[in-house]
Amino acid sequence: MRSPDTIVVARARLHPLLAKELWDVLSGRALWTMLLILCPFVGYSFFQAVSLYGEASSAARDSPTLASGLSPLDGVFVPTFGALYLAVTLLFPFVAIRALGREKESGALRLLVQLPYRVPTLIAAKMTAISVAWLISLIPALSALVIWAMLGGHLYAPETLNLLFGQLLYGLLVGAIALFAASISEGSATAAIVTLAFTIGSWVLDFALAGQPGLLEWILRLSLTQTLRTFEQGLLSIGLLLGIVAAICGFAALAAIWLHPGVPPHTKLIRSIASVAIVAAVFAFATQIRTSLDLTEDRRNSFPAADQRALAELREPLLITVHLAPEDPRYVDLRRNVLAKLERVLPRVTIRLAAAGQSVVGSTSDDAYGEIEYSYGGRSAKTRSTSHREALPLLYGLAGKPIPTPVVGEDYPGYPLVTSGQAVLPWFFGAFPLLIVMAWWWTCRAPRIPARFIEEGGQP
Amino acid sequence: MTTSAAIPSDRTAVYAPDLMQVAGLTKRYGDQRALSDVSLDVRACEILGLIGPNGAGKTTLLESIAGILPADAGRVLWQGTSLSYADRREVIFYLPDGLRPWDDQFATRVVWFFAAVYGRSENDVAKIIRSVGLLPVLGKRVAALSKGYGRRLMLALALLTPHPLLLMDEPFDGFDLRQTREIMHVLRDVAAGGRTLVLAIHQLIDAERVCDRFVLLADGRLRGVGTLDELRTQTGQPLAGLEDVFLALT
Repeated sequence: MRSPDTIVVARARLHPLLAKELWDVLSGRALWTMLLILCPFVGYSFFQAVSLYGEASSAARDSPTLASGLSPLDGVFVPTFGALYLAVTLLFPFVAIRALGREKESGALRLLVQLPYRVPTLIAAKMTAISVAWLISLIPALSALVIWAMLGGHLYAPETLNLLFGQLLYGLLVGAIALFAASISEGSATAAIVTLAFTIGSWVLDFALAGQPGLLEWILRLSLTQTLRTFEQGLLSIGLLLGIVAAICGFAALAAIWLHPGVPPHTKLIRSIASVAIVAAVFAFATQIRTSLDLTEDRRNSFPAADQRALAELREPLLITVHLAPEDPRYVDLRRNVLAKLERVLPRVTIRLAAAGQSVVGSTSDDAYGEIEYSYGGRSAKTRSTSHREALPLLYGLAGKPIPTPVVGEDYPGYPLVTSGQAVLPWFFGAFPLLIVMAWWWTCRAPRIPARFIEEGGQP
Repeated sequence: MTTSAAIPSDRTAVYAPDLMQVAGLTKRYGDQRALSDVSLDVRACEILGLIGPNGAGKTTLLESIAGILPADAGRVLWQGTSLSYADRREVIFYLPDGLRPWDDQFATRVVWFFAAVYGRSENDVAKIIRSVGLLPVLGKRVAALSKGYGRRLMLALALLTPHPLLLMDEPFDGFDLRQTREIMHVLRDVAAGGRTLVLAIHQLIDAERVCDRFVLLADGRLRGVGTLDELRTQTGQPLAGLEDVFLALT
């Protein structure tokens, strides 16, 4: 069946759809209200972070050791973007749900699905609009970065961009979940509840399952907050990136599957199961990818450069048997200081928790509790230290390699900045909100009506 | 907006061959049958009236034909070829009843959106706006439009589409007598221009004025199809109006 009319339909242009979606997001109150809340929220976080950083810098002025502990990433950017994270978690779902929820409620969806666009195109356009809304939400935090640079603060581009990238992925993930929730719900209120169940449910997972071994640890990895943590630590994990992208695509695909009212429910269900299976397979594959880039200036996720080079030459498999309960603080230290770094630099590392399933209290009577055994090349050695300064010499000894000489001058200097955050308050509490209100007013203006309509239209 | 003098009273002319056939359409909501084995045909360039009381299944039938609602059984054929759900939107456009789409947008923006999607020229848009009398409210938000202007906006959107077949649910709802007549003339012009219309109407007087043929529906079942004369013959009441015919057949 092909008629001249169908050819016209097949050539539908994309820009009207994108423009409509953008106007839908921009003309709603949700985005501007969120910005008005976000502005002082981010501003106050930034002010506090800068003030504390300034105080710490005063103390570190005459001490290079103290100064080396002052990183703008931890001291300023992560707390400032933490406010954005809260807003994205609690408020952004309402902005994203609007992209579809109002069309479902008003019945406009029944017109939309008849337009000459494939349903995935409709969802892609909505995701684009949500991305733009997220970029607009980012402006207060970006302005904080600009102010930081104007105050004379240090910015290291790779770690800052990595943090921004993490926030982008988190925002898109929340947006995709919101779109899916709007797709399966009849009203925006229900969609909001479903979305918040995901976002706030992640917090519950974080609190309830932290430090739990086995399946519970695996479930904890599904928490949305875990997606940001790695980026905040300055790591760009390829496996995590793949997993988040798969989750975003998965939720967007589910939104597309459930969008069209003309598809029978059982068909939607079958397609959903297939989509979830594909995403699960990608997740499984992503967990096997250990490649990650340490983008921090202080290389906190890596051993010193000389050790990195020496360890990269070890080709045999390394087995580490840890006699610690997962919730033991020493295991957390070991994980951060040694295990995670070894996993990044060595191609074949296996970590076995000998005390898995035991509690800290129940295991203390065991003599072996607290030991960490390194097995490499048929030899093994034990230690109770959780520091790399003791673990690495052990490992070099097992491998029959000399301890590498440290590279002089590679130490992170730290970037103290003695400043007060007072100057930023008028911007975030006065000028910026005013600009937001003006931008809101601008989007509310009536569009121009073409003169031709008025000249030829006349009154009815 | 101009108003033509009269609406032709006799439209029993010879029609083009079938444009679309609906065969055995059935739809259930749980135990309730909304449509029972409904079959009908739509001829090119005609105005077909879907007549029935509230709850007769008119909206369900239109939505099932348009592919907005999944039917439990039945087929829709376009010039003899079966139409999948995906293909239907290429030839059929359905205008639902009681919609206020994108109600926080300005009317002109909604009109522009449809015009841009279908590549309509500014001249075409101006003509359509003039024909439905939408100009006075173009600068208003959709939510602020009266019921009548909201209906005109919906009508404008339908006319901006290029589809050869338009399905409209209660197109005269919200209009007074004069406005209803104006819109009837607009629809007659659309049909005269080569498009086919299927209108679900519960006001029999309106239907009798504008439609070429009628499909009578009650309790989800087809009770009669044909021109008014054919339906009169079917009921054996040669002088009856549509109301009497409807009562006799349902």
